[in-house]
Amino acid sequence: MGYAVANLARREPAIEVDFALIGHQESWRAAADILAVLRGGELTALPDDEIKDILPWIPPRTVCHVDIESRAGGNARGLYIDCFIPPDRLEAAYVHENLARVRAAASCAIKSGAKIVSLGGFSSILIEGNFDQLPEKHNTVFTTGNTLTVGFIVQGIKKMCALEERNLRNATLLIIGATGDVGSGCARCLAPVVKRVLLNARNIERLRRVATELEAEGVEGELSTDLQRFPTQADIVICAASLGCPSLLLDRIAPHALVCDAGYPKNLSPNAGLVGATVFFGGLGQIAGGLSFTPDFFGILNRHPFPNVVHGCLLEGMALALEGRFEPFSKGRGFITPKRVAEIETIAARHGIHLAPFSNADGPLERQFEYQTQSSRGWVARHVRPPSERT
Amino acid sequence: MKTEGQIEPVMDLNGSPIDRSSLSCHAPIWQDILAQAVTGEQLAAMNYTSLSEICDDPAEVADALEHAAGERGHAASFAAEGRKIGVDVDNNVDAMHWRRLREAFLGCIAERDFIGCLIVQEIMLESFAVASYARVAKVAPGSLGETFARIAADEEQHVDHAMAILRAERALDPERFDDKVYRLHFDVMTTLAKMLAKECKDGHCEVCHSSCVKPSLGDVSLSAAELRGASLEQYLKALDMLGLPGEVTLAWVTQLPI
Ligand SMILES: NC(=O)C1=CN([C@@H]2O[C@H](COP(=O)(O)OP(=O)(O)OC[C@H]3O[C@@H](n4cnc5c(N)ncnc54)[C@H](OP(=O)(O)O)[C@@H]3O)[C@@H](O)[C@H]2O)C=CC1
Ligand SMILES: [Fe+2]
Ligand SMILES: [Fe+2]
Repeated sequence: MGYAVANLARREPAIEVDFALIGHQESWRAAADILAVLRGGELTALPDDEIKDILPWIPPRTVCHVDIESRAGGNARGLYIDCFIPPDRLEAAYVHENLARVRAAASCAIKSGAKIVSLGGFSSILIEGNFDQLPEKHNTVFTTGNTLTVGFIVQGIKKMCALEERNLRNATLLIIGATGDVGSGCARCLAPVVKRVLLNARNIERLRRVATELEAEGVEGELSTDLQRFPTQADIVICAASLGCPSLLLDRIAPHALVCDAGYPKNLSPNAGLVGATVFFGGLGQIAGGLSFTPDFFGILNRHPFPNVVHGCLLEGMALALEGRFEPFSKGRGFITPKRVAEIETIAARHGIHLAPFSNADGPLERQFEYQTQSSRGWVARHVRPPSERT
Repeated sequence: MKTEGQIEPVMDLNGSPIDRSSLSCHAPIWQDILAQAVTGEQLAAMNYTSLSEICDDPAEVADALEHAAGERGHAASFAAEGRKIGVDVDNNVDAMHWRRLREAFLGCIAERDFIGCLIVQEIMLESFAVASYARVAKVAPGSLGETFARIAADEEQHVDHAMAILRAERALDPERFDDKVYRLHFDVMTTLAKMLAKECKDGHCEVCHSSCVKPSLGDVSLSAAELRGASLEQYLKALDMLGLPGEVTLAWVTQLPI
């Protein structure tokens, strides 16, 4: 056996894995597309009912290799590991089963020798940033990736305000999921630069704690567990609640509001008729140096209307890998500060990782921006009214 | 087959009256489930006997014969459970899918491929047995459930034994080993996938005593989809333990017939 193991080491030169990305699919369509790539084009596609029957049984595992390039030169190799959480089983009722899946995915990452692992979407929520719940780690570190996510949400709001000529300083900001890691991080970064903040989540005690912390910084605001109290007052809304499916309605939203949906899965229901409001997906970044998957999952794992766009949480691990900084940058819940956000943004920017162009459920928004620069009746003319016209 | 009226009194069940009545009214379903299990055990016994014939080492010969006897013991235990609920449990190792599985094993025997034999029996067929017995054990009442649970645990143990041998073999030449697994997967798992499909598409399986049992599995809180899912999960985990790359084995599984 001793001989055999030595032989293995020679024959299977370990591919050095810098980073691993742990994720899960947001919709059955996305899950089906992954299985379709693996099944190959020659066989008939698996019917939807078969996919729903098979996927819950797949043990967490590597789905593909990921290669990224830094704009500063250099590159990093990684793996995408899917937890195979069925998209309709993110609710609290499945927490134990899902936690076991995240642990199994973490074991895969450790076994691969990944130096840093980003916990995407619900995988960090399930362990509540408590890395002690993960298997024994050897030389692998974990990050929730939430600091860079907050950075991109905040950058997105500032850029959108600039594009739409909104004055952030006069704005009332509503954060849904304000006590979460992402929501509270956004509150710390944005509260000092807006007029008022409105905080919403279900647990009143935790809301009070966040509010007390902000008040100590001189921030003016209000909290409520009843979302219905707020929408009409808000100019800017950040949706950062950990909802198992897109179910948020926001039906009393002010028509001029700017809404950033940063949830994964998305928070906003497809039936949220946000008439007149500007909605964009937040927390997304783009890796300018490029991103490739083997086998080719282009447009399937990164389902965005622009190339090389990835969720901030996953990009954080990639940025740290390119930087050679293998440390648990985002850990625990409630520790994201403007200083930490600036630090990770600087690292990311050094390697060509920037805020992604804007998009929402209807597709790209940026192209529409570009379009309006060439046309007198473009997107801004249609969707953005000068401050004087806003109610 | 005995009709429901002829069912013998259930003497040794320590289950509740509900267990007993559910056992008797679902006897025809348990009969078919047991028939598949007995057939699988008989086939395993035949496979181990064949394996003993290609082993050079007397210890390996003894080991294989002991396994064969163990599998015959499992078959007898399942048949006895049938008698307790008043049904005869037939087996048919010549039924179309089972025959195909036996042929695949005999292909390895013909090549005196000891490792191939272990892959077919211990990784592929036993994954299916361990996972499906464990699911049945969860819902089958009384001693029926206990027997399925006990045999699932037994099977798991000899999988562990084979795993050590196979891991050592893979360490010698992973590429060659993985190629062999793939060849056998293509043959054996394709057949198993057809057996486990939600609906039998190749006609009657020749084991069920009348029409196919699959549509009735819901009556005993089972489903064909669940048995297939659990079996594929167990199989993927077994391949993971052998060290095959997870992304590769997942692709293999997604390419199986449905
Ligand atoms: N865009 C990106 O790159 C990323 C997106 N995310 C997504 O951001 C979201 C938040 O993540 P994270 O902060 O880590 O999660 P947390 O678990 O830390 O926080 C979740 C927050 O949502 C609140 N919440 C949950 N359900 C509801 C509800 N029905 N109504 C109002 N508030 C609710 C929670 O408070 P309470 O329980 O008291 O209601 C809490 O404030 C998730 O959807 C996550 O997937 C995360 C990382 C990266
Ligand atoms: Fe057996
Ligand atoms: Fe059948």
